[in-house]
Amino acid sequence: MARKKINLKISSVDTREMRLGTITSWDGSASELVDASRYEARGRGRVTGGGEADREGCHGGGKVCRLRELKMPFNQQTMCSHAIVACQLGNLTDCILVEHAPIGCSASNARFNQGFKIGLARRGKPIQSIQIFSTNLKENDMVFGASDRLRQTVRDANERFGPKAIFISMSCSTAIIGEDLDSLAQELETELKIPVVPVYCEGFRSKHWSTGFDASQHGIVRQIVNKNPKKQNDLINIVALWGTDYFTPMLAPLGLRVNYMVDMASFSELRQASEAAATATFCHTLGSYMATALEEYYGVPQIDAPQPFGIAGTDDWLRAVAKAVGKEDIIDDYIESEHRRISPRLEELRKILKGVKGFVSTGSSYAHAMISVIRDLGIEVEGSIVFHHDPVYDAGHENQDTLGHLVRNSGDLAHFTVSQTQQFQFHGLLKRVNPDFIIIRHNGLAPLAAKLGIPSFPMGDEHFPLGYDGIIRTGEALIGILAKKKFNAVLKRHVEIPYTDWWLSQEDQFILAKHPEILDEPDETKTPLGADRSANPIQMDPDDNLSAPEEKLRYA
Amino acid sequence: MPDILTDANRFRRTNTIVHPRYGCAIGAVYSVVAIPGGVPIANCGPGCADKQFFMMCGENGYQGTNGAGAGAMPSANVGENEIVFGGTKKLDALIKSALRIMKGDIFVVVTGCSGELVGDDVGSVVRGYQRAGKPVVFADAAGFKGNNITGHEIVMKEIIDQFVGDYKGRKRKGLLNLFFEVPYFNTNWRGDFIELKRVLEGAGLEVNALFGPESRGAAEWKDIPKAQFNLVVSPWVGIDTAEHLKAKYNQPYLHVPIVPVGEEATTEFIRQVVEFAGINPKRSEEFIKKEAKLYYYFLEHFTEFFSEFWFGLPSRFAIASDASTNLALTKFLADQMGVIPVKQIITDNPPERFRDGIRRLYENITEGVSAEVDFIEDGYIIEHEIKNADFAGTVPLILGSTWEMDVAAELGGLLVRVGTPNTEEVVMNRSFIGYRGAPTFMERVYSAAVSGGS
Repeated sequence: MARKKINLKISSVDTREMRLGTITSWDGSASELVDASRYEARGRGRVTGGGEADREGCHGGGKVCRLRELKMPFNQQTMCSHAIVACQLGNLTDCILVEHAPIGCSASNARFNQGFKIGLARRGKPIQSIQIFSTNLKENDMVFGASDRLRQTVRDANERFGPKAIFISMSCSTAIIGEDLDSLAQELETELKIPVVPVYCEGFRSKHWSTGFDASQHGIVRQIVNKNPKKQNDLINIVALWGTDYFTPMLAPLGLRVNYMVDMASFSELRQASEAAATATFCHTLGSYMATALEEYYGVPQIDAPQPFGIAGTDDWLRAVAKAVGKEDIIDDYIESEHRRISPRLEELRKILKGVKGFVSTGSSYAHAMISVIRDLGIEVEGSIVFHHDPVYDAGHENQDTLGHLVRNSGDLAHFTVSQTQQFQFHGLLKRVNPDFIIIRHNGLAPLAAKLGIPSFPMGDEHFPLGYDGIIRTGEALIGILAKKKFNAVLKRHVEIPYTDWWLSQEDQFILAKHPEILDEPDETKTPLGADRSANPIQMDPDDNLSAPEEKLRYA
Repeated sequence: MPDILTDANRFRRTNTIVHPRYGCAIGAVYSVVAIPGGVPIANCGPGCADKQFFMMCGENGYQGTNGAGAGAMPSANVGENEIVFGGTKKLDALIKSALRIMKGDIFVVVTGCSGELVGDDVGSVVRGYQRAGKPVVFADAAGFKGNNITGHEIVMKEIIDQFVGDYKGRKRKGLLNLFFEVPYFNTNWRGDFIELKRVLEGAGLEVNALFGPESRGAAEWKDIPKAQFNLVVSPWVGIDTAEHLKAKYNQPYLHVPIVPVGEEATTEFIRQVVEFAGINPKRSEEFIKKEAKLYYYFLEHFTEFFSEFWFGLPSRFAIASDASTNLALTKFLADQMGVIPVKQIITDNPPERFRDGIRRLYENITEGVSAEVDFIEDGYIIEHEIKNADFAGTVPLILGSTWEMDVAAELGGLLVRVGTPNTEEVVMNRSFIGYRGAPTFMERVYSAAVSGGS
């Protein structure tokens, strides 16, 4: 019998780098990364877990076929897994997340509150504020142990809100002092008679924050979902974030009801995940773990397709969904009629956006999807930054290879970079391709692009570009984004960027990984801040007027 | 809901915090960003500095940041390897490359929980750079040591000790160092620094603002010992730093616990500072006259509305905010506008040794009016206390943060955002203090009143 890829026996999740061989620092062309990733071989290796196929295949994080990473001595701030858990398990309607940590680990709660409320509004649910609890640890707790603080806060959460379940997230400090979350959670579960779920997401555990998605989903599948499921044949799980409910109209012709997870879900919605007919997602980076766990432990099949973005992606995804739920007879007609429906406006948008160059810098597989969407609009995309790269997803299903799908369907990208919101590299990476706009989600990069004259399209509603209509929506929105160049041109004329001329003169944004010795060269070119306040190293061409989308940005 | 729920259990004050109103000590990376030319090096886990960004800059009036803040901030992003084998090697490479890559005049390594818990000797790494003449400072600001205000004072002290250094020269009469609000944390800090500096300079003083758009950055910090005295304008933040400077440079300090709001308080403030400095009051009195004339020009106009508005104006208010904002606005509303304080909650956790002094400031805050003050940090309890405040059936005026939205809605009250975090307003150059800020504050309060808070 096949070894399971997801191990629910233990309470902590294996990190992405261990499971999938995830990398966070790489530069080359997209096709080179497809080749190096060896998705199929890795997928096979993962599936068999031994024997012949394993010898020719690769385990996710196995040493033999580990992707080469560029190790940089310089890093800038990033997100962490703990924050990801807060914005997943802290965004449930009737469960409580307790953060076992000093108060600083809860410092982005106001942001998650905002996302939660907007998400509830998008899904037509009653608006409520988040109620994430912090154990608020101090120095003495680090010395003498913090378990009593946790007991107190979990009881407070229970008494104040009577939640259906309580999740407890581990932080760097509580992990280092050795807090025994497993025992504490068990003890409190017995006392309170509701599921109490330990979540191991301390920031230092994984080099990429997306392990936080896996940690959240691990806890849900392990302790929340119905262990004796009653099949609901018209229910499809969609592993999502806060996006608008575009899936329901898209899947209605197939007679499917959508069960969104994890954000804004209730306990009972999470619980019925094991009863669904299938699991799908808008983003395999996000949904891979949950989908595979449900498939392996509860026989809920996952949709073996790329993501429902762009024409080819949506076609393939809809066909795979139809196949999974036995609706193959109607799907070709549905797809064809949708193509016909969007075609007139799509042609017009392609004319308007002709010659525009785009750049995508978002989470990994979502970037693959965004590139296909804007390429379908006739926009040229030669560069992209993804914040990490998974050479394979958990199940290893062949048709989920999103980067391979992108390259095969819409062509290569000359400059494909894996870099974790490292702003200091962004200037040089943009310069290689001179885009007219960038698509972003995570914070950290867009303000720099803004100062270089490049407007950003923050894809805050991740479902916005979804399906066939999403392509049109994105095109219409882009016209508004390109108009914002006016603002960016003002910034570019007047605002300084915080990097030295020496660094900005480097062609290779990964040179420090290859030649760290250049840091020892004489320090002559460095301009201290304040020495020349007007010294924006990227100057405007005198004739560079940025009024029309057709105008290209030029770098001196 | 289980039937064991009792008020006693639900409203018990414990270690728990819901709806936090401050970051942790590592939030002081933003004190470094607030110094023009300052580059923080966040020596902590991934996520630590990013989370502070949201509390301090992002979800706090969408202030944003500049220079080496937010995505530009160098960070060690401590991983498992550094936890097991120590993080000093990675930190050394980070400092070395930051000095080449980032523009800056002063670099401050701010160490968080993980580095401190595994016992990294950050000092030995940084001292190597100091010996080579590099402007690098280190500060231990683990999140478990306290909130971002604690971190702010730790960072100020370390910059003074490691970067400003010893000084035996003369002092300059009329030059003062200003210790005031906590940069970024106080939502209006940029506007407030501009206004207070304007007021002090108008009175004939020279000001080392140390933070914000009008600071001269590292060079100004080097001038700290040259100042005649230190001016602390806060109920408690900055007193420890002023005490330290008193011992280090034999510099006296003047403590003004209540930030002045409105003409009368600001005029009194100027006279107090001018007297302490011993400078000629001729210039300050001229400045006061000019500012007062302008102030009452607007106040007279406002009176038409204030005395004749038919549809009701708030008469009672509650406030939940940091001590500095709380005292300043409670004093102004009670003493200058005649609004009755009914619930004053201080949320920034001042150390116990300052609390009695702060409580006394609310006694007789204006003639015949005293307010009781409570120190609470757990939003659940704060919201409960506001809910139970005695507004005597009038429309409650609630000065608070984003977190008071639910209780304000429940009470049908008017919420004016004065505290951290604030996700419903975009704040740029705004101030509620001094001569120019007070009318802005009145605009906010009475616009809420005439619009029904909508």
